Amino acid sequence: MSEISSAAATAHVPAAAAPEIPKLPPRQWAKENLFSNPFSTALTIITTVILLTISRALLSFIFNPIRQWDSTATNMQLFFTRAYPDEQYVRVWFCLAVILILTSVSMAVWQAGSSIPVARLGRKFLAGGALLGILTLLAPFSTSGTIKWLLAAACVAVIGESTRRFASSGGTERTVNSLTVLAITLAGLAASLWVVPYGHYTYVANREPRVLAEEGTVALTTKLPWTIMLLIAVSAFLLGRWIRDRLPTNPTRVTLLILWLLSPPVLIYVVLRDPSFDMGHVFSTDLPIFVSYAIGGALLLSWLTRPSTGEAGRIVAVIILIAGFCTFLTPMRMVVRLDMLTLAVFALAAPTFAGGPRNRRRYVLGWLGVLSVMSWLITSINTPSTVTVPGGFFIGGFSITLMVAVFTLVLSFPLGIALALARTSTMPIFRLLATWFIEFVRGVPLITILIFFSIMVPLFLPRGMHLGEVAAVVIGYVLFSAAYLAENVRGGLQSVTRGQHEAAEAVGMTTAQKTLFIVLPQGLRVAIPPLVGHCIGVFKETSLLAIIGVFDILYIGRIVIPGQTEFMGSTKENLLFVSVIYWIFAYQMSKASQRLEQRTGLGER
Amino acid sequence: MTDTTPVEPTDGQTRDLSGARDMIVCENVSKWYGDFQALDGVSANIKEQEVVVVLGPSGSGKSTWIRCINRLEIHQQGRIVVDDVELTNDLRNIEKVRSEVGMVFQQFNLFPHLTIMDNVTLAPIWVRKKPRAEAESQAMALLERVGIPEQAEKYPGQLSGGQQQRVAIARALAMEPRIMLFDEPTSALDPEMIKEVLDVMKALALSGMTMMVVTHEMGFAKEVADRLIFMEDGQIVEQNTTELFFSNPTEDRTKAFLSQIL
Ligand SMILES: Nc1ncnc2c1ncn2[C@@H]1O[C@H](COP(=O)(O)OP(=O)(O)OP(=O)(O)O)[C@@H](O)[C@H]1O
Ligand SMILES: [Mg+2]
Repeated sequence: MSEISSAAATAHVPAAAAPEIPKLPPRQWAKENLFSNPFSTALTIITTVILLTISRALLSFIFNPIRQWDSTATNMQLFFTRAYPDEQYVRVWFCLAVILILTSVSMAVWQAGSSIPVARLGRKFLAGGALLGILTLLAPFSTSGTIKWLLAAACVAVIGESTRRFASSGGTERTVNSLTVLAITLAGLAASLWVVPYGHYTYVANREPRVLAEEGTVALTTKLPWTIMLLIAVSAFLLGRWIRDRLPTNPTRVTLLILWLLSPPVLIYVVLRDPSFDMGHVFSTDLPIFVSYAIGGALLLSWLTRPSTGEAGRIVAVIILIAGFCTFLTPMRMVVRLDMLTLAVFALAAPTFAGGPRNRRRYVLGWLGVLSVMSWLITSINTPSTVTVPGGFFIGGFSITLMVAVFTLVLSFPLGIALALARTSTMPIFRLLATWFIEFVRGVPLITILIFFSIMVPLFLPRGMHLGEVAAVVIGYVLFSAAYLAENVRGGLQSVTRGQHEAAEAVGMTTAQKTLFIVLPQGLRVAIPPLVGHCIGVFKETSLLAIIGVFDILYIGRIVIPGQTEFMGSTKENLLFVSVIYWIFAYQMSKASQRLEQRTGLGER
Repeated sequence: MTDTTPVEPTDGQTRDLSGARDMIVCENVSKWYGDFQALDGVSANIKEQEVVVVLGPSGSGKSTWIRCINRLEIHQQGRIVVDDVELTNDLRNIEKVRSEVGMVFQQFNLFPHLTIMDNVTLAPIWVRKKPRAEAESQAMALLERVGIPEQAEKYPGQLSGGQQQRVAIARALAMEPRIMLFDEPTSALDPEMIKEVLDVMKALALSGMTMMVVTHEMGFAKEVADRLIFMEDGQIVEQNTTELFFSNPTEDRTKAFLSQIL
């Protein structure tokens, strides 16, 4: 069933029929909105002056000849992946390709993009040209530079105006899909790599001179992969469209979501890190553990999901949970413990999913899937990497910023939701534990938690078990993030009305079913804005990892590059660049949240 | 739906239900909210296929009583037995009773994030463990019965109040309950929508459903109810067959109430 698409279809009918509010011509609009009375006129003028002053200062900063923008251009690779070895770099591109394929296919399957009037596009170009012109006049260019940029601005404006004229000429309004616009823009950028002389910069640490800067287009090792990435993205989108039209919607979407969840650990720990498996150990230890859990768990769960099992099942599930916690008291492999806890979670949820043979088979298959992925990942993580990088973690720069953010968020969401549920639960013990945990974590600065985990966790681990420093810190960060998330989620949960609870109870749902199907979907929907705010915060605060010696993008821009002999003191330039990168991603997140809100808000009053 | 046949076709006449067994038994039920006593020794039996309308002024405890019957509220004294299952703290009994008792609320309480179809099929699939296809065909039949099959893919927010209340009835019926409870099902509706909901309820009563209805719709009470119960201050003041209740009320408070609303 495609609930969302059909709802969108019905929801759009009245919107299309409604008469459009006539647009005021620009001069009248300005008069009504900017200069309607002396006060607003004064405000408008003051604001304009302030904006112009700021823009002028920024432009003078950027185009000041003493700025070492070479330092940014030369160190691009350092910014994004730090010292990942060149001969292995194809792994990085592979990861990017996987992410792009997933993104494109998902965009097609979830029907991203909207049709926008060509005329509006034209107006945007026109405004862009005008803005470029104004900025050019503000910037400290030489006369020839000014003329060159003004010509460019005029070109943009002319293109915009003619597009607008063309769009409104035919009588019917022409529209274009926003994704087409995106594809054309990206294609233009990719093509420009081959023709525009951006310059060819390289930084090679173990060679003299270390910095190479040549005229001409960018290096082949940059433009070729990016072009291929674009082609991959476009083909993946077309593939996604094909999938959307031919395969059933819900299974496709579930598969995609699972792939999204799996991709970060697999890409980081298997593709980028390239573990070298010790087959002897795998066959003697890992595989037997996996097989026994697989068979034992499957039998147990197929019994627990029988509708007739009833109360005995709940008791067994609780016993397994307790056993899972007890494994931590004895010296045992981490895999055994994690498998036990996962089994306990599955056992506890089993009565909710009890049913006919099909339901039960699906549930057991779900267990086997989760167990396989978990075992494989744990084995990979515990295996030494073949990628050797001087000093620290095997990857750095923006990759580690993203990686830490993604891992933290993916892990802290379930934990945060669980904490919120516990805190609103009717069981006093859960409520108390959750409240204590949340209030404790919220009362401690993040830095303290990170340092604590980086130093203390390795000391507490049982002998023979290694957990990289980054992983230890991520655990601390997950706990921190989960505590804040829990409060955001709790706000959402409390907005679910009493009537909804009662309606769910009145049709005989258990507390678990009520929570899963009624309370969480509605509560999370309400909590989207604060949750996205939290995600952006987590993403930006990954920079605190620098204090435990992780080379994230901010650290590289602030310390590493300004420390290179060739680029001494180039801090400001690189900080500006880093801010722009952060901003691009944070802004995309908040745009995504708006779209998510609109989509999930469809049927609501 | 229950596959029992009506004891006797109802056409406004009083039916003879004396042979039928008790579906709901309340003995001396009392409930307090803090210090305030909302129910004070309520005793009443409701027989299989019987339609009982509960009347009373605002705050008299009608909602509290009806909500005790499927344990949305917990009574502190007395006994409530529904279809031979006594309501205690035992979760299994509560689950059993709730899956046999359908409830329709004044504020509809449809699930706003689910389509009409999902609203109706959610509980049959997850509580009754029905295969989805079967649940959906049953849901379509029910939506047809309440007269809105064409709205199945819409969301509750896109429906009128009367349509929403009919979906709520379909949602309750999808669990194949043996008893239906209605707490002022038409009070939140515009006058022109009241009739469409009452018609559905009438048809339901005719099909032999055991029903307990809190309502101020006297027309409905006169036409459909087998018995009326009048409450005040948490007590049952008077109960009688529909005819006798209207023609010959015994208590003064009943008379006063009737003279106000008729
Ligand atoms: N949750 C509650 N906490 C405290 N008091 C309550 C609560 N619910 C109801 N009451 C009180 O119990 C009494 C009975 O309430 P109830 O809702 O059963 O009345 P009612 O007969 O349904 O009235 P109405 O016709 O207005 O719906 C009222 O005085 C009300 O104030
Ligand atoms: Mg009431």
